[in-house]
Amino acid sequence: MVKKEISGKRDADLEALKELLPAQDILTFFFEDAAKRQYVCIFADALTDKDLLAEQALRPLSGYDGAPQAECIAQHVLSPEVRTQKNVKELAGEVLAGNPVLLWEGADAGLIVGTKKVAVRAVAEPPTDVAIKGPREGFIEDVKTNTSLVRRRLKTGELMIEMLTVGRRSATSVALCWLEGTCRKDIVEAIRSKLKKIDIDAVPDSSYLTRFLSDRPYSLVKQVGTTEKPDIFCAKLAEGRAGILVDGSPIALTLPYLLAEDFQSSEDYFVPAYRATFTRLLRLFALITAIYLPAFYVAAQLFKLQLLPVKLLLTIAGSIRDIPLSPSLEMLLVLLVLEVLNEASIRMPKYVGMALSVVGALVLGETAVSAGFVSTPAIIIVAFSGIGLYAVPNLIEETSVLRLAMLLAAGSVGTYGILLVSALCLVVIASTENFGVPVGAPFAPFVGRDLRDTFVKYNLLSLKERPETLRSPNKRRLK
Amino acid sequence: MKLTSRQILFFLAAIAPLGKMVIMPARLAAICRNDLLWPVLAQVLVQAALVFCVLLLARRERTLYALVRDAAGSVCAKICVLVLSAFLLFAALLPVIEQKLLVRSIFYDTIPAYLVFTPFFLFSAYLCSRPLVSLGRMWDILAPLSLVGLAGILLLSVGSADYGALSPAGAAGAPAFAGGTGAACGWFFDAALLLPLIGRFSYTKGLAWKGALCYLAGGGVLLFLIATFYGIFSEIAVIQAHAIARMSGFFAGMTVLGRIDYLFIFAATFALTFYVIFPLHGTVGMLTESFGGKKQLPFLLSAAVNLVMLVVIYLLNFRTSQTVEWVTGRLFWIFPVFSVLLPLLLLLIFGRRPHEKNS
Repeated sequence: MVKKEISGKRDADLEALKELLPAQDILTFFFEDAAKRQYVCIFADALTDKDLLAEQALRPLSGYDGAPQAECIAQHVLSPEVRTQKNVKELAGEVLAGNPVLLWEGADAGLIVGTKKVAVRAVAEPPTDVAIKGPREGFIEDVKTNTSLVRRRLKTGELMIEMLTVGRRSATSVALCWLEGTCRKDIVEAIRSKLKKIDIDAVPDSSYLTRFLSDRPYSLVKQVGTTEKPDIFCAKLAEGRAGILVDGSPIALTLPYLLAEDFQSSEDYFVPAYRATFTRLLRLFALITAIYLPAFYVAAQLFKLQLLPVKLLLTIAGSIRDIPLSPSLEMLLVLLVLEVLNEASIRMPKYVGMALSVVGALVLGETAVSAGFVSTPAIIIVAFSGIGLYAVPNLIEETSVLRLAMLLAAGSVGTYGILLVSALCLVVIASTENFGVPVGAPFAPFVGRDLRDTFVKYNLLSLKERPETLRSPNKRRLK
Repeated sequence: MKLTSRQILFFLAAIAPLGKMVIMPARLAAICRNDLLWPVLAQVLVQAALVFCVLLLARRERTLYALVRDAAGSVCAKICVLVLSAFLLFAALLPVIEQKLLVRSIFYDTIPAYLVFTPFFLFSAYLCSRPLVSLGRMWDILAPLSLVGLAGILLLSVGSADYGALSPAGAAGAPAFAGGTGAACGWFFDAALLLPLIGRFSYTKGLAWKGALCYLAGGGVLLFLIATFYGIFSEIAVIQAHAIARMSGFFAGMTVLGRIDYLFIFAATFALTFYVIFPLHGTVGMLTESFGGKKQLPFLLSAAVNLVMLVVIYLLNFRTSQTVEWVTGRLFWIFPVFSVLLPLLLLLIFGRRPHEKNS
């Protein structure tokens, strides 16, 4: 049975700690101070900066001959991050987090020295959401670095960062961030409560938390915003949202989420409003085309040829004449090939991926058409649809499934099937709320003022108030 | 969660007129010939007044069931709700048949297997089980969509219309006007459609006036569309069922652009789908409230109501035109009972607020 608190007997306390930390990479180091008092330092091998530990703690303490109380000893450790802790389990947690623990004969508490050493990659431009004009920094896997990136952009005492631990075994650090007085308190409280209730063994990535933070975890509708960029994260905090940074993940979460957010890119705010409006409408057009084009093509061929202009119809009729597959099966096959190519090229090593693209695009496509397996229009439509889907990269997961659903509806019921699936999707979106905020706002429900920053982007000077949908206590952002 | 008054106005202005644009223009052309606008005008004016009355009733912020229960007990309230639900189910028959015919006409080159309309009932069952707030939010999206659809259809049609075909006014005479007005009753029951909504939205100042004006605005669009329809087809309008799908097909640019009018027809049909489901949603909503308690009740009721409608529609599959004739010709009197007399009666009994009664 593990003792709960430090007893003051070094060997017994060490044994209690080792009982909790039996792994071989948890090392111990014994030394004496000037008063011949026996110390033991327990630390995790790869997580502790040993040079720093020796410089800041071991060397100063080897000359110490004062009282054995932890508070007195702490004053002789030259580290800015020194804490005392009596609870053995907490001390074990600190060792696992990379902070060495000192125990000694007659100790009233263990001493924690903050000499953690974490291998982190440099702050770099994230692969998603690249901005031509605008900041190029992206979050990395270290939560401390990420909070520093946020703090550097919001130099205000109103920025609150609350550290929580999630995961029974991973004990992952989670930083809940919000701007006091701008984000609604009930939202912060609800997020905190949900995070505290999570009882999972490990949190390898922030995406794990999205399921717990969604009111409808099984829904196809996205309910938590994501970003890899500190500038977007800070802009969302400034709008009245709360943000979550998870140790080990470069993807930050933002709440409450609105579907319209994913049609905005950071660059929209750095270019003139007319350009931002144009690109947002282009994204919408690309996404709608990507989802609907394969389905309408199949529905037109199977059920309603009048949907196609006569000349186009004649061209298509010529190219599909000798195709052995039905239009829906042909389209499904080409779409599946695209999905497989896409999946394989993402997972494969960079150079093999390039070769795969050539094989997929040129060899497979060209040969399949000349062999008469699939028609040229089907390849063109799927290619356009594949490109269009990436115009809104944050919705790829949802839209690729939706495209397939539309295709199945078109193949079985025709255009009316497409209409009904679209209606169903809209009803599901309109019904979905997270933290009391409707995901479909400002369209469903209609919030006129918030339309200024959706598909049509108003000039920054016109965006004087924070989004009404978020009901921020501090409504005005521009005076 | 309640509807907003804006959503009610959106429904009255942009979605309610859609239900009258499929079979009704051809049917009225058969009865009234070039005087088909007058019965519509009369119905629009009457319904606008009744919409005003129903919205005044909403000032009490109590549902219909609660109002009747407080005044006459829960048994009486349950009977009232059952009767009104039965009417709404009956009233939904014509729009559902119209939707089925429209779908066949515009989405398929050849008559499809009749099972293709079945997914509509699956969707309807899902929507009917959702709370009213979901439908209200849909109206927020559908209102602009419907307006875009109607505007597009009208823009592509007006060039082909000869409005002179509507003259001389009054040539069909009073019997045609009376017959047309009677037949149009089957499509004008919007005041009754609003009855399940009372108490489910917050009454804001002047809402009754705004509601009546919005209904009149929607009625204006309807009149313009019917006038254009008759202007295009004139004497052969009687055989042109599915007015909104037919009238824009003569646009000169289509030889180059293809059937771009389908974009607008699809938009209007999309919004129309929700209008068709609305009476069924009202039925489920009222029955759930009166027999409420269990969480699964809306799902069960929704499934039951839609199953009944599905069976009726397929039983009448080969008697569609007779059914339309029967509902608008012989049973037309049922509609004014629920959409004219009932709202007036309710206004008479519950119209005044409690403090007004005391004073």
